[in-house]
Amino acid sequence: MGNLPESLIKARELGYHYVGDGENIYPALKGINLDVRRGEYLAVIGPNGSGKTTLLKLFNALLDPSEGEVLVEGISTVEHDKIPMIRQICGMIFQNPDNQLVATTVEEDIAFGLENLNIPSAEIRQRVVEVARRLRLDKLLLHPPHQLSGGEKQRVAIAGILAMRPRCILMDEPTAMLDPAGSKEVLQTVSDLHKNEGIAIVHITHFPEEAVFADRVAVVNNGCLVKEGSPEVILTDLKLLHEFGLIGTPAVELAALLRNDGFKIPNETLHNRELVRALCSFRPIN
Amino acid sequence: MSPSITLGQYLPGNSLVHHLSPRIKIAVLIILLILLFSLQNFIALAVMFALVLMLLAASRIPLRYFIKGLRPILLIILFALVIYIFFTKGGVVLLRIGSFTIESEGLRQGLFVITRLLVLIILSLLVTLTTTPLSLTHGMGYYLKPLSKVGLPTEEIAMVMAIALRFIPTLMEESQRLMRAQVSRGADFETGSIFRRAKNLVPLIVPLFISAFRRADDLALAMEARGYRLGAKRTRLHEDVIATRDWAALLFVLALLAVSFYFKL
Amino acid sequence: MFIQTDKLTHIYMQGTPFAAEALSDISFSLAKGRVALLLGPSGSGKSTLIQHLNGLLKPTSGQVYFNGNPVGGSKAELLKLRRRIGLVFQMPEEQFFSESVYDEVAFAPRNLGLADRELDHRVERALARVGLEPALFTKRHPFHLSSGQKRLVALAAVLSLEPEVLILDEPTAGLDPAGRRRLYTLLDDLNKKEGLTLLIATHHFDEAVALAEQVLVLYKGKLAMDGSRNKIFSNREELVKLGLALPPITEIMHDLADSGLPVNRDIYTLEEARTEINNLKGSGKNES
Repeated sequence: MGNLPESLIKARELGYHYVGDGENIYPALKGINLDVRRGEYLAVIGPNGSGKTTLLKLFNALLDPSEGEVLVEGISTVEHDKIPMIRQICGMIFQNPDNQLVATTVEEDIAFGLENLNIPSAEIRQRVVEVARRLRLDKLLLHPPHQLSGGEKQRVAIAGILAMRPRCILMDEPTAMLDPAGSKEVLQTVSDLHKNEGIAIVHITHFPEEAVFADRVAVVNNGCLVKEGSPEVILTDLKLLHEFGLIGTPAVELAALLRNDGFKIPNETLHNRELVRALCSFRPIN
Repeated sequence: MSPSITLGQYLPGNSLVHHLSPRIKIAVLIILLILLFSLQNFIALAVMFALVLMLLAASRIPLRYFIKGLRPILLIILFALVIYIFFTKGGVVLLRIGSFTIESEGLRQGLFVITRLLVLIILSLLVTLTTTPLSLTHGMGYYLKPLSKVGLPTEEIAMVMAIALRFIPTLMEESQRLMRAQVSRGADFETGSIFRRAKNLVPLIVPLFISAFRRADDLALAMEARGYRLGAKRTRLHEDVIATRDWAALLFVLALLAVSFYFKL
Repeated sequence: MFIQTDKLTHIYMQGTPFAAEALSDISFSLAKGRVALLLGPSGSGKSTLIQHLNGLLKPTSGQVYFNGNPVGGSKAELLKLRRRIGLVFQMPEEQFFSESVYDEVAFAPRNLGLADRELDHRVERALARVGLEPALFTKRHPFHLSSGQKRLVALAAVLSLEPEVLILDEPTAGLDPAGRRRLYTLLDDLNKKEGLTLLIATHHFDEAVALAEQVLVLYKGKLAMDGSRNKIFSNREELVKLGLALPPITEIMHDLADSGLPVNRDIYTLEEARTEINNLKGSGKNES
């Protein structure tokens, strides 16, 4: 099969600015150098307006770079005739579950992307049924979107992308409008796809609790990539997070306060159970 | 949370009527409507009514959906019947109340009109209950295709109609929520002159419009992200395949039409 | 009791084959000046219940009482009710339709028939209460504000009714952490400094718990739990069965207590947790 590039998506000196009315230029991204490796789960966090969404749109060729370039499996996103291929490789899920479902039934919506790829009808039907089974949507195939819960709607959106056989799923705050049960549903689904099928995930989120499951976390602020690393390193770096108006998970925040009070808690304590374990050495003597 | 029962909503099923091709159903409907409104012979109309009832049974859709569909026009039907019975004169006098008469012509014409109305509604319901809105839209798009030769973007129009269908229940729920929210702020959408009420609708219309535009923006982006391109060729999940039974149905109704013209029914 | 329901039941589409019981037999009471949380998974009936409290929906059976009087009646009576019970819907900035913050905030008192001078006062007071300087904000276009500011304006648009009760449905939906904290600080002030009675329905109650005195839990249309904050959150297993989790800090304290550490479980904020855990010092051995 030849040498598949290690990086699924490569952003080189990527920059983007919006042009407002008149001569106003609004810079959104500057000098981003970021790779998304094959099969990796990358979380992108940052305050509102930091450019995270713009970054995702550049990955999926919804926008053309103002500076630099984005390569998806070696193909530059400015090669407009290759865009269908790029969008098949990198699918995108949006924040508002309702505003991405276009069809009158679940099965038609899942089929939408395949119809755009001009896949023959028989194969479309087969893929729709298969993907619905994998995401436990088979009983809902004939249902209209407005009868679904938020979590179900997002799963349908994921199914629609999955049917296109992507190598990467880009997600822009997919749980922002869901209740806890729906969020859990979606995150579990995505995590399974990542683990079982090696699909790369780029997940923009506000919630540090969601980023703990990633392989790598990138922090974006004011259009720049500030830092990237493992969740244990990034999500426990409260100085960094607080600087950009983000907060750590309760375990991380509490661990930091207690460390200041003299408790011995390892610096990279991320999860509740780690904090509990560290504190358990304070069992009273009697 | 409330389940929505839109008039003419699709009900999944496995009947013969369900399996007919949507394009054929549209054609058959049009032909049957032409037949319906050209029939003058009362017996022929009764036969047609019976035929339609048989179709209703064949669709295996519970009667209550048809009754629900007829309910809005029940009043009109009764009203029409009353008007004809009491005010159309001719033929044999059936009943005399003082100087007031009910005559057979009135009864006949009344029954004629309401039978026509009933058949019209039942046939339309049959089509909308057994065919998904999307395939109906595509079916109509098919018949409009010749217009694309004169520059009408029929594929895109079909897509727009399908999207509109998809969002009707969503928009209805949203407007209900919005209305309640504004009522909680003291808004009143019911009292006052027609001008006053129109002005009072601003807090309802403006937010709905804004939300609709935002939806359209989001949706367009999502569609693009999934590879949709204006004007590009697309395949379809469900192809509308015309089978033997579809041709049979079409020929049957054409034969009915021919017979009725030949015998001047 | 300020707000009370008695065997409140609501059946959607009654009499049709699609009838569904959204609320069954709900009886609870909320005292004046209290802060109560209304929890429950999606579809449990929270929104339906809220809409009964200001008369938007009529019960199929049972009754809602405000200040001892049954809720309902003519449009005039309902209007009078709604000037005393303010209801803030989810994503309230989606209701904006005016070209100035002034008009948006004045909409509600204008509907009450108040005169222009009083309207000015109301708008000023409402904006000041939510922390937006009236002089800076009244002329601005609501759509040009930041999302946090929009939320505050929407809140002011209900506060201009000068209600005694504020019912909020997911008040922090769509806000970032800073915005959430600001909102709950504001609600706390409104309750503590002005005696506003609050009922907050939410899925995300991490910050809300700090204010809550009473907690109501709905499950499939029934009132599954009703009690003080401590009582409700001491019962982790029951909450999990109802599809809910403990607030994150409380969860940590439960875990610590379950592991044998002598800590209180009724802890809801970071600061309280810190203080409580620091009490372990002096009785433990591994200090740095």
